Amino acid sequence: MNWNKKFLRYLNFNVPLAVILLIIIGFISISSAVEINQVDSGALRFLQKQAVSVVLGLLVVFILQAFDYKIFKEYAAVIYAVMLIMLTATIFFGRGVSGGAHWISIGAFNLQTSELSKIMLILVLAAVIDNNSDDMGYLKGMFLPSIIAFIPFVLVILQNDLGTALVLFFIYLVMLFAGGGNFKYMAAVFGGGFLLIVSVITAHVTLETPLPFLKEYQLNRLIVFINPNIDPHGSGYNIIQSIIALGSGRTFGKGLFAGTQNQLNFLPEKHTDFIFSVIGEEFGFVGSALVILLFLYLLWQFLNIAENARDRYGYLIVIGVMAMFLFHVLENIGMTMGIMPITGIPLPFISYGGTFMLTSLTAVAIVINVNLRKNKLMF
Amino acid sequence: MDRHKILRIVILLIFIILLSRAAYLQVIEGDYYYELSEGNRISVRPINAPRGRIYDRRGEIIVSNRLTYNLYLMQNEIPPETTTEEILTELSNLSNLSESRLLSNYHTAEVDTAVDPILLARHLSKEDMVIIAENRDLLPGLVVKESSLRDYIYPDQLVHTTGYIGEINEEELISFNEEGYNYRGGDFVGKSGLEKEYEFYLNGKRGAEQVEVNSRGEKIKTIGIKNPEAGNDLILNIDFSMQSAVEKLLQENYQELRNLAAEDEDRSVPTGISAVVMDIDSGAIISSTSLPDYNLNLFARGISNSDYQELINDPLRPMIDRNTMTAVPPGSIFKLVTGAAAMEELGVRANTSFYDSNGTFYIPNWSRPFRNWNPVGEGELDFVKAIARSNNIVFYELGYELYKDYNGEKLAGYARKFGLGSRTGIDLPSEKEGLVPDDSWKRSQLNQGWYPGDSVNLSIGQGSLLTTPVQIVSLISAVAAEGVAYKPQIVKEIKNSEGEIVKSFEPEINIDLRDEIGARVFEALKQGMYDVVNKSYGTASRHFNDFPLAAAGKTGTAQTGGANHAWFGGFAPYDNPQIAVVVFIENGGSSAYSVPIAREIMEYYFGFKNRKNYHDKVYYYNRESYQENN
Repeated sequence: MNWNKKFLRYLNFNVPLAVILLIIIGFISISSAVEINQVDSGALRFLQKQAVSVVLGLLVVFILQAFDYKIFKEYAAVIYAVMLIMLTATIFFGRGVSGGAHWISIGAFNLQTSELSKIMLILVLAAVIDNNSDDMGYLKGMFLPSIIAFIPFVLVILQNDLGTALVLFFIYLVMLFAGGGNFKYMAAVFGGGFLLIVSVITAHVTLETPLPFLKEYQLNRLIVFINPNIDPHGSGYNIIQSIIALGSGRTFGKGLFAGTQNQLNFLPEKHTDFIFSVIGEEFGFVGSALVILLFLYLLWQFLNIAENARDRYGYLIVIGVMAMFLFHVLENIGMTMGIMPITGIPLPFISYGGTFMLTSLTAVAIVINVNLRKNKLMF
Repeated sequence: MDRHKILRIVILLIFIILLSRAAYLQVIEGDYYYELSEGNRISVRPINAPRGRIYDRRGEIIVSNRLTYNLYLMQNEIPPETTTEEILTELSNLSNLSESRLLSNYHTAEVDTAVDPILLARHLSKEDMVIIAENRDLLPGLVVKESSLRDYIYPDQLVHTTGYIGEINEEELISFNEEGYNYRGGDFVGKSGLEKEYEFYLNGKRGAEQVEVNSRGEKIKTIGIKNPEAGNDLILNIDFSMQSAVEKLLQENYQELRNLAAEDEDRSVPTGISAVVMDIDSGAIISSTSLPDYNLNLFARGISNSDYQELINDPLRPMIDRNTMTAVPPGSIFKLVTGAAAMEELGVRANTSFYDSNGTFYIPNWSRPFRNWNPVGEGELDFVKAIARSNNIVFYELGYELYKDYNGEKLAGYARKFGLGSRTGIDLPSEKEGLVPDDSWKRSQLNQGWYPGDSVNLSIGQGSLLTTPVQIVSLISAVAAEGVAYKPQIVKEIKNSEGEIVKSFEPEINIDLRDEIGARVFEALKQGMYDVVNKSYGTASRHFNDFPLAAAGKTGTAQTGGANHAWFGGFAPYDNPQIAVVVFIENGGSSAYSVPIAREIMEYYFGFKNRKNYHDKVYYYNRESYQENN
């Protein structure tokens, strides 16, 4: 059993290093966000649950290396079917958390199915794009991947989970681009669509025309970042408080457990969606820059691994994972800084939340798998 | 260019933006935000919206609001060096507020974030308000806010119709907010009557004041104000001068009948009384009274548990609106329905002759006798006179004939046509639908078939038939207007606080029998009802002696096994019907007690007796139009 050694020759050690550092930063910030320094805070429970997900995730990282990632391509149809069944089941049997039904229970284990669907979509899309690679410059080649992405997108929207739907859309967009999709069509369709959405919303806000699909509160959450005073008592308040928390950390931060915004409960959802504000307040610009740069570093490694992948399928998978993390980071950190809409998606490796930690580590496991098998002649 | 390179550039750009934004907020603007976080902070304090008021049809205010003061805790205004518990202990030491109550309100409050205010105490006394204001520096995070309290101008009138309010419960909180409303724990909502039916109109929209407070929890300045929106006002069809007069009339009669029953063992003890007056041309409810009732002020500040237990355990059931929530047999009033069915289906005419030889009726081949209320045979009488005499023998026979020809379904069908067995749709919650018994009902409930005796019993409004007074007023109205009855409606219109009409309720036809039942039928029924009141042999004529107006009506005495229920349903004027009146006395013994009450209600309505007792101004409602028509 010396395959470990052979594999390890190829391992890009920067990836596990960056991930482990981010997870450690996550544990420290969660501890502060759940006020572990105070008596009876119940904080240990949060940390224990988070630790369990990390251990499970690391197990996935090791176990997954025993298989060649090509099996994902072979079983793409099965993965897709399971994903659709899972998402549909959640709509009918799911349990809601604040206005959305994203959870299904398997025994004592609650699974947020929309989280898992991100990885499943990456694996399936990569297979479809790879199979159609000759036609990707034409509409007929772009058609199937678009349909494949559209169905789960709609199912997640039906779960009222706008954040995850946007992640799925972004993954699809980046993979289509990297997979050689015709740029003119993409620019026309998505640019045009974006302009359409912006004009519908502008018309709704200024001329009070009716609003399709979205409920008023969802729209408010989306556009409140442009002007927090639209809704200063609801989502706008969260943005104002988050910016105050971040800014007040100044260059070096107020110190661990010393963030007043955090410790006085000004911050909403501070251990999940707004964890970055806690980091910014308690560790200052040094802390937030470190986290931002660590993510940049990690994603840069992903791009290197993608470039050196054994085949096009491996390349596309890594690009998909990269896109997923990129969107999470941009959206989550951008939201806490008031430059992105509030959609409630977590910060990878750092936010509290079991399913997403598991999803993130599984994604890393797949990237490492591609990385380890970059040499086509490996035995 | 290579797409991979483009990706690298895009990613670099995204991270440069994030990094620059962090640098801008934390390094360049850091001191400003630090100042905000350590020194002054923003807090959003609630401004409560008053609940809509209730007016009668003439704009007289019935339910209003008065100002009260509540104490809220703003967690996010508390400086870091103190705890909420310390502040609450300090507050209870200084004031008359109990520490355990404050702490329990604080600990049980369900708030999402520290931004949400926690209601600590309601209805602060003046003394406590002064104490809190004077010790503001010792009590950071505590905010006194105006709130409104229901002010009942007449807390013991129109009680069931108005309905009571109470603190929102968990279930209501969830379902109301799911419907898109913005309720919070501690809010008061309608629990019965109009307060419940029109909750979403009456409830206002809370406002908020965004303030900057310093590190000691003191307000420095107001940043912005979102004004609250007062709830919408209800304008009722109720004529409050009528209402007051009827309330007083029923109260006196109820007391007197109970006193008489206390002195005389043979008399039955009434357990409730109600009356409803409806405008025939629109369905507008002009007055609706049900006794015994309760005092609405008990609920204004949130009822105490002992008071509430006392009310719901009272055997006289004061919480029940007899007009809409009590369904009992209507007795002989139902003969109007039997009569209509007989004329339409059996070819009976107004002058069809019947014979009552000995006051007893036998179904062929059955041995059980069915008796008239008059033990002596009344001889020959025609159909109209049978109504005026309320002769059971004639209607037994009609009921039996209908059974023979149509197997019992026909009469039940007519009852349903007149709206019995289903809700009238009056704008009040918890209206009962009553019951029209038939073969399938009897099979499913009693596991028995429909016998001829059931039809015979039903023909005089006895047996399992159950009706509410508001259904009966609708029935009377349908006969008076010769086939048309409007949906009974209490609220006339809804206005916002600026006085603009938000919603106006147009009369809505509920029952329309003009195509199914001929005019000659209604003419005969109305003639019978006229004779009930006006002919010397009519069952109500004794009490309508010298009545200055031609009225019409029908008596009903419903046997229940115990004491009889007393009914009277009538309308007036006879040639130009304006109002329908129903008087119901639960366990009242005999319709002889309900008739004089109905007469007095009509006297009040048409101004033969003034209703000055409660009001300076005397209205002669519709008197002009009445005189023109006569």
